[in-house]
Amino acid sequence: MQLDFTVVLSYWQVLAKGLTLTLAFTLGCALLGSLLGFLLSLLRLSKSVFIRLPTGLYVELFRGTPLLIQLFWIFFCLPVVFGISVAPYVSVVLALTLYMTAITSETFRGALKSIPSEQHDACTALGLAKWNKVFYVVFPQALLRAIPPLLSNVVSLFKESALISSVGIADLMFVGQNISNSTARPVEFLTAVAVIYFLVAFPLTRLVGVIETRMLRRYAY
Amino acid sequence: MNYQFDFHFLSGNFGALWDGLKVTVQLALISNVLGLTLGFGLCLLTLNRWFFIRWPAQLFIEFFRCTPALLQIVWFFYCVPMLFNVFIDPITMGVLALGLNLTAFNAEAYRAGVQAVPREHLDACVALGLRRWQRTLYVILPQALRSALPVLMTNGIGILQQSALVAIVAVADLMYVGKSIATEAYRPLETYSLIALIYFAMSLPIAQLVQWLERRQDVAQAR
Repeated sequence: MQLDFTVVLSYWQVLAKGLTLTLAFTLGCALLGSLLGFLLSLLRLSKSVFIRLPTGLYVELFRGTPLLIQLFWIFFCLPVVFGISVAPYVSVVLALTLYMTAITSETFRGALKSIPSEQHDACTALGLAKWNKVFYVVFPQALLRAIPPLLSNVVSLFKESALISSVGIADLMFVGQNISNSTARPVEFLTAVAVIYFLVAFPLTRLVGVIETRMLRRYAY
Repeated sequence: MNYQFDFHFLSGNFGALWDGLKVTVQLALISNVLGLTLGFGLCLLTLNRWFFIRWPAQLFIEFFRCTPALLQIVWFFYCVPMLFNVFIDPITMGVLALGLNLTAFNAEAYRAGVQAVPREHLDACVALGLRRWQRTLYVILPQALRSALPVLMTNGIGILQQSALVAIVAVADLMYVGKSIATEAYRPLETYSLIALIYFAMSLPIAQLVQWLERRQDVAQAR
């Protein structure tokens, strides 16, 4: 069979549109999810069982089920349960944000736990008030340490966002599949889409490594 | 909220769901076997002395790690038959796509463990006159496996969940069966909830085991 990758070039505008949508969904949901995830990680450190148990269950449930089901659940079931019609992109944003919230809350929890117990003892010895300890000792270190895993979470959200094509959002994956079907050239287009995803995600994963080795060694350890 | 839950219709579809579950478990298990064995091999390749072996191996890993799993699956289903002019049955194809994906992730997981094997152990292997394959199999692998186990298991759970993606290319796994039941019975809520629970029930015990292992390793390290 003949492979001709030049046909991809004539579709670059559509592909670029798809990529923009993918990036927009990723960034929006990553920001929202990180904020909510941070709050959730604080809730999970609570002393009360009635806060810890439901939040823990939420995180386990979202990490323990495929994102595809979460998407479908929110897409099909939200209208049924609440009797409201939701635009597809709203339900998609909701699903991705809830998923991101669950995984980032674990990231932050790990970072908060990584503060050695000696520092907590030192704060007690210095007579720091609880909130002073949290704001001046725990948070600055924990947040810095959370940056690399947080970035990896964003990269994985970027990849997982390809799933939204299955509920009909015209993201990069959807566009790529559509063109490959209509032109009957799956090899060229699917490969091109894969390369585009790779070109975005790969530098980000390298960035994670750079931040880990350079920045954090200087400031956080 | 005035929705009447009705789980009765699901009992008639029990057989179909069971078949779907079997396919899902099969996909996840075989991919894990592939990922655990090939991942170790690939990890050794990335640590090879020769640039021309190291470089393609690393590229393979990065490519699988930096593109969506859904795209990889779709790519395999559409492009492999076209490029190589072969027809492979859908489940094998799904296993291949998921297995290679897991191979790339596991290779990264093994790497830290392989690199952490102390220099002295390698010297001891030379002193004992062990062959290269003996050194790899009896000295490096056990230690790498031990330290990488939590990550490997987390990746394994991940692939169980990614296996739901093959439903999109019409492999009759749990997700696919659920999707068609939901459409037929017009009861998405009950069906998707049940399927989510099944996936959850499969991954939760393993996730708990990982946590337990990690705690043990932390304690061992603190000593």
